[in-house]
Amino acid sequence: MNKTNKEPSRKLLAVFAHPDDETFICGGTLAKYASEGVDITLVSATRGEMGRRMGNPVYINRETMPAIREQELRRACDSLGIQQLIFFDIRDKTVEFVDEIQLTNRIADLINEVNPDVILTFHELLGGHPDHCAIGKATTAAAEITGRRESLYFISYGDTMEHPEGFGYTRQDVVKVDVFAHLEAKLAAFRDHRCQTEIDEWVWQNDQEALARFGRYEYFLKGSEAARVQEQEQEQDDLFVATCVAQH
Amino acid sequence: MNLIIRNQVEAELQAFVGEEVYIHSEATSFVFVRNFKVKVTEAFIAGEDSFRVALRFDELGWLRMEALTHYEKDGHARLLLAGYDDKGRMNVALHLGKEPFPE
Repeated sequence: MNKTNKEPSRKLLAVFAHPDDETFICGGTLAKYASEGVDITLVSATRGEMGRRMGNPVYINRETMPAIREQELRRACDSLGIQQLIFFDIRDKTVEFVDEIQLTNRIADLINEVNPDVILTFHELLGGHPDHCAIGKATTAAAEITGRRESLYFISYGDTMEHPEGFGYTRQDVVKVDVFAHLEAKLAAFRDHRCQTEIDEWVWQNDQEALARFGRYEYFLKGSEAARVQEQEQEQDDLFVATCVAQH
Repeated sequence: MNLIIRNQVEAELQAFVGEEVYIHSEATSFVFVRNFKVKVTEAFIAGEDSFRVALRFDELGWLRMEALTHYEKDGHARLLLAGYDDKGRMNVALHLGKEPFPE
């Protein structure tokens, strides 16, 4: 950890849609960078208040859900080491219907305020859920208008980007982060999102069995065309490489 | 949330008859409607383990939902009905309140 003190404070801004996106998709990476002293700001556009999983056995109703999921996310942020949490107060399942320009400007303002080296969001087409695609599209536009396209990376599910060719990308477009040393933090955050994970028995098995379910790597797609065409000998394994090289 | 006891829920529903009521209604995977305001003119419940609830409103309206299993009268005098599966996943919800639900 001595390294941390010598480096300028690095910052990461993650702009996601629901409580648990940060944990389920890239919790290992967030825990890794937090442990290295990176200052992390997380946006959750919604409180996930329209979720379907209401505890198992059930203890939540639609009206109690927003406060419960907010509290779960706050705990998960503690487990992962995320310092700042911001809610956009958009109703779950309606992100694609809010004013796109206002949403983009709001994210652009935040980018200017936080001044992040790395911005994480969803790919606007590969995000899956409509809320994911909508927040990804707005964040991508915000990165563009703030001139931060080089800092932008798209999160991806599991190890799907081990084979990016199927999505029209190459290995050079992918950053593969080794999160092995941070899987305990990821598991703790999974358990913090109790109402969403209670249904998944493996999460609640003993730690060793549960940890074995996680992949060793998390994958990110470069958000910048320029970053992608750069000739690279080695596969990139660090989100901060591009921006840190640019700064030095 | 408690398992629905038909006569208790029936009595709770009757308390909204003749009133201006805000409704949240959803079939979780497909549709939700929040804060539509109607004047409830009749309210019904039917079923054994899984219940149907129907409301007549504004002289000409129907709202009917099925697969309801649980209910709660919450601290804001709202009647919350919901249908869950055996793993706690919500299938449907029907909430009635005399004040708007949070947006």
